[in-house]
Amino acid sequence: MSKWLKAFVLFLLSFVLQTTVADWISMFGVAPDFVIIFVVAVAIKRGPASGCFWGFLAGFAQDVYAPVEWLGAHAISMTLIGFLVGQLEERFLTLNFPTKVGVLGLAFFVCDMVYFFFTGLEGEAVTNLFLKETLPECAYTLFVGGLVFYLSMGKPAKHAK
Amino acid sequence: MRKAFRFVLDLFTQRHGIVAFVFFMLLGMLMREAPNPVRESIVTSVLGSVFYPAQVALSSLKEYRSVAEENERLKEENARLRQELYHASEGLEELARLHTLVRFDDKWDFPIVTARVVGHNPGRFLTTLVVNRGTYHGVKENMPVFSTKGLVGKVTKSSFAHSRVQLLSDPNLKLSVMERRTRVVGFLESADGHMLSAMVPTHAGVKEGDTLITSGLGGIFPKGIPVGVVKEVRRADLDVMRSLDVAPFQDIPMLEEVFIMQKDPEWVIQELLDE
Repeated sequence: MSKWLKAFVLFLLSFVLQTTVADWISMFGVAPDFVIIFVVAVAIKRGPASGCFWGFLAGFAQDVYAPVEWLGAHAISMTLIGFLVGQLEERFLTLNFPTKVGVLGLAFFVCDMVYFFFTGLEGEAVTNLFLKETLPECAYTLFVGGLVFYLSMGKPAKHAK
Repeated sequence: MRKAFRFVLDLFTQRHGIVAFVFFMLLGMLMREAPNPVRESIVTSVLGSVFYPAQVALSSLKEYRSVAEENERLKEENARLRQELYHASEGLEELARLHTLVRFDDKWDFPIVTARVVGHNPGRFLTTLVVNRGTYHGVKENMPVFSTKGLVGKVTKSSFAHSRVQLLSDPNLKLSVMERRTRVVGFLESADGHMLSAMVPTHAGVKEGDTLITSGLGGIFPKGIPVGVVKEVRRADLDVMRSLDVAPFQDIPMLEEVFIMQKDPEWVIQELLDE
C-alpha cells in the first residue's frame, strides 16, 4: 500500500474513532483526541511536509463543524503542529518512545493555545478551558497516544537511526 | 506536465516542508480573513458534498449493528406500553377536562419532525450537529431543536435532505431564558464554545439547583422548553448581575435523535420596526 493511501486510511480511521469510540470511552466528559494523535504520528513518521498536509486536512475537517466565524482556526493550529513535530523529529531528536509521548503532550498544548488565540478567546474563558478541558484531555490523549505509539510505531524511523 | 508536477512535489517534500507550511498557513489565514458569506459557502459545499455522505454511511453502519439489540428492547417496551396505554387514555380524558378548566395555552401545538443525528464535530469543541432532515421534510432555518430532555439548539442551515443545527454551546447563539421559580428573565450563552453561562439580575435570588427554561422572548424558541440547571452562582463584573454556570439537561455528545419544531420565527421587533 502506498504511503499516501496508508495515511489516508489512518486519517479516516482517526475521524471514525473520534466520532464513535471517543464518546464511548469518555470519562466524566473527558475524551482522548484521536485526530491530534494521527497528526503527530504522521508528522513523526513522514516529516514536516506530510505533517503540514495532513494537519491542514484534519484541522479543516474539524473547522467544517465549528462556528463559521472560526473557520480556519483548527486548520492553522493543526498545520502548525504538523510542521513543528515534523521539524523536531527531522532535525533535533532521536524519537524514542518516551520522547514521542512527550512531543504529543507538547503538541496538544500548543495546538489548543494557538486555537484559542485564533478564535479570539481570552482571559477567564481560556483559563477555564485550559484547566477543565486541555489538562485532563491531554492526560487521557497521552495515555491513548502512548498505547498507539507503543503498538504501531515501536520501530524508529529510518532517518532517525 | 510530469516535470511540472515533479517540481511542485519537490517543493513540498524537500526543504524540510517549509513551502508546505507557508502554503497551508496562508490557506488557513485566508479562510480566517474571508467574509462570512464566503466562509458559509465553503462550509456548506464541503459539508454537503463530502462529509454528509460519509457520515450517513457511518451512521447507517452503526444503526445496522444496533438494530437487533433495539428490536429486543422494543418488544419489551411494547408490552409495557400496552399496559400504560389504558392508563394514558384515562389521563387524556382528564387532561382535556383540565384544558377547558384553565384555558391552557396551545402555543406549543406545532408539528414536530423527528431527525437522526448523522454527524457532529470530530473534535473536542462540539458546537454543530448535522441531522438527516432538510427542506424536503419541511425543515427551515431558525426552527427550534430539542430532545426528550431539553433544548438542543436551532437550525442554522437547511439543505434538501440535511440540516445543520447550531448547539447551545455555540458562542454565537445567545438565548433568552427564564428561571422557573423566580420567573426572572436573563440571557444564556457559551463564551468559550463549551460551558454555558447565564446572566440574571442579582435581586432575583437565583440559587444553585434552580431550573432555566426558554423565556419565549426573541421570537425563535417558544416559552417553556427546559434548558438546564444552575450549577453555580457567581458575582458578575457588574454588582447588579449574577453569572450562573449552567449544566444543560441534554448531554449533547450522547444525542442520537432530535426533534425539530416546525415553528417559524416571530420577528416581533422587526415587524414593529417595519411599521
